[in-house]
Amino acid sequence: MIVHFDLDAFYASVAQRDEPALRGAPLAVSGRSRRAVVLTASYEARPFGVRSAMPLYRALELCPQLLVVPPNFTAYRETSLRVFAIFGENGRAVEGLSLDEAFVAAGEQLDDAIAFAERVRARVRDEVGLTVSAGVAAVKMVAKIASDANKPDGLTIVPPGTEAAYLAPMPVGRLWGIGPKTQPRLEAAGVRTIGDVATLGEARLYELFGRAGTFYRDLARGIDDREVDPTRERKSISTEETFEYDERDERRILALLRVQADELARDLQKQQLRGSTVGVKIKKADHTVTGRQTSLAVATDDADAIHDAAVWCWERAGMQGLPIRLLGTRVASLTEEKARELKLF
Amino acid sequence: MKFTCSTKDIASAVGAASKVVNAHTTVPILSNVLLSADEGAIRVRATDLELTLEQSFPAEITEPGSVTVPARLFSGYLGNLPAGLLELTGSPSRASVKAERSNYDFHALPADEYPPLPVAQKGQSFAIPAKRFREGVTATIFAASNEEARGAVLMGTLLELDGDNITLVATDGYRLARWTSKLERAIEGTAKYIVPSRALSEAARNLGTAELVEITALGANANQLQFTAGATSIVVRLVDGQYPNYQQVIPAKFDRRVVVNTQGLIGGLRRAELVAGDRASMVKLEVANQTLMITAKSDVTGNAYEELEVEQTGEDLAIAFNARYLVEILNHVDSPQTVLEFLGPLSPAAIRPLELGEESGQQLYVLMPLRQ
Repeated sequence: MIVHFDLDAFYASVAQRDEPALRGAPLAVSGRSRRAVVLTASYEARPFGVRSAMPLYRALELCPQLLVVPPNFTAYRETSLRVFAIFGENGRAVEGLSLDEAFVAAGEQLDDAIAFAERVRARVRDEVGLTVSAGVAAVKMVAKIASDANKPDGLTIVPPGTEAAYLAPMPVGRLWGIGPKTQPRLEAAGVRTIGDVATLGEARLYELFGRAGTFYRDLARGIDDREVDPTRERKSISTEETFEYDERDERRILALLRVQADELARDLQKQQLRGSTVGVKIKKADHTVTGRQTSLAVATDDADAIHDAAVWCWERAGMQGLPIRLLGTRVASLTEEKARELKLF
Repeated sequence: MKFTCSTKDIASAVGAASKVVNAHTTVPILSNVLLSADEGAIRVRATDLELTLEQSFPAEITEPGSVTVPARLFSGYLGNLPAGLLELTGSPSRASVKAERSNYDFHALPADEYPPLPVAQKGQSFAIPAKRFREGVTATIFAASNEEARGAVLMGTLLELDGDNITLVATDGYRLARWTSKLERAIEGTAKYIVPSRALSEAARNLGTAELVEITALGANANQLQFTAGATSIVVRLVDGQYPNYQQVIPAKFDRRVVVNTQGLIGGLRRAELVAGDRASMVKLEVANQTLMITAKSDVTGNAYEELEVEQTGEDLAIAFNARYLVEILNHVDSPQTVLEFLGPLSPAAIRPLELGEESGQQLYVLMPLRQ
């Protein structure tokens, strides 16, 4: 069995735990720059429509009484270490996904797994002062979806054998690997729920998903034998997008690189990581993949630095004017070291 | 074409030219050097399209004309010839060389396909003693960025001219080098050029033993710069772009000052850096009681502590630097004593030589500290 734990509104909850005056108030954790985005919104802010990744100015429009506090990564890191120590009681395998989220291996028996999840939730509440939601299932994706089902402070159990039925009514976009680009395409083809994917025939499956078809159908049926991998470490972060039609318009390609750099920078900042290798991945119209990468003298989490490097890679990939199917940006050689370098300009 | 010349002259000109040729070029003629015989002199030219080098030497010309030969092959051949005379006969497809009792034919490419020199209009010009120019280039270009992804502007070195003043500036955004000096022949008005640092260093290296370098802007938009010294001429394509406002990042005044023995500081930093390891090579400098303390520590390697006697003016200070950056700057400080000036632990520091030579230019380095 696998338990997926997810701390509720982590950054905001830490702020509220440490500063009683913030408790019960709509709160956003965010930088203060012109382009700042909400890193986490407290549950009190969510009824106003405030969401993470939303530009701060927009959040303030939606909720003028919103309290804004800057992120305190030292506190998050320290808190995360304590929570992960509880996850790993008795030498359990823990696969951290980020500071506030992990898969934990919880033995063969459902009852033992439920007891473990309850014990962890109680300990995190008592010892760390935060609430954590949990999902218990035999399959990673199902456990992760379940942990989100009764947030905040929820526990959701999907007993073995009921995975397919549990997933079936969910929108197809909840399936791992189905992004905001693929979802409309599937919906247009009449595939709206995970259940629809589970019942697709071979030919239709190939038509919609290509060679990865059976992998998606298995996932939709709740079949996935990937185990909790405690050695998994994020070696790189990346984002990519498949064009609806093969793209050759350089302006649109450059605009996408801009968006991807912003997204990766936000992701890096949120996880307090910096990377010193930037690369672009290009899938050509004939499905062959090419790319370029470059090293930076100083590891960065800056959107402009990532963007400049990605544009440089793109320009040297020699694909200008040629149709491309997919474009991705990747930041690797990640480090947790604090940024020490100060810039002249 | 046909000429007779000394093997030493042609070997040295072709040898220099072959270093300019880009080994990875996909345009066959760009792997060749161009030899032109005219008016009692042979001109040898090579280009990688960013930098063009032309050197000339005297020869006895029987028949004027030109030929292009593969640079590396030809330079290897010439470098292995004994001193003496050789006779070269060129045609569009072949270059034949007779030397002593040997006879070699090299496949050639038609000379009229070789990229022409920009004969475009000449613009502003100025001149500077060659030795001083080389000094300025050495003192600055190391500070330029070598990260292609950050763009050609920061990989370049800024040449700023104003009357009889010349300023060279290079920076990668973390450190900055500025060198100022006087021109031998002033420029009319002012000018700013961003020269690719690699090309600038090639230019400085190839200007030979001549006394004076003449520098002339070429092209309608002054997009190339020609460096001429004696028998050598180098044309460099300039970087198109806006150089950062470097003056803005040089603090106008400092409130703390330390005078330190340059070599003593370099030695201490190098040893401490070994301990600092890869933690951004962070070493800490503390100044108190006329003493400079260098410390570094690492969980892996251990601790470093060194003391140097200094002349301290102003309050005590603790500041951290990337040791490698600081050593690189100090290695270029042309003086036994170095002045370090500070404003605070998070503000740019200035580094300059204490004594200034009469002839030489003035060096100033600015380095950002590391956050501790």
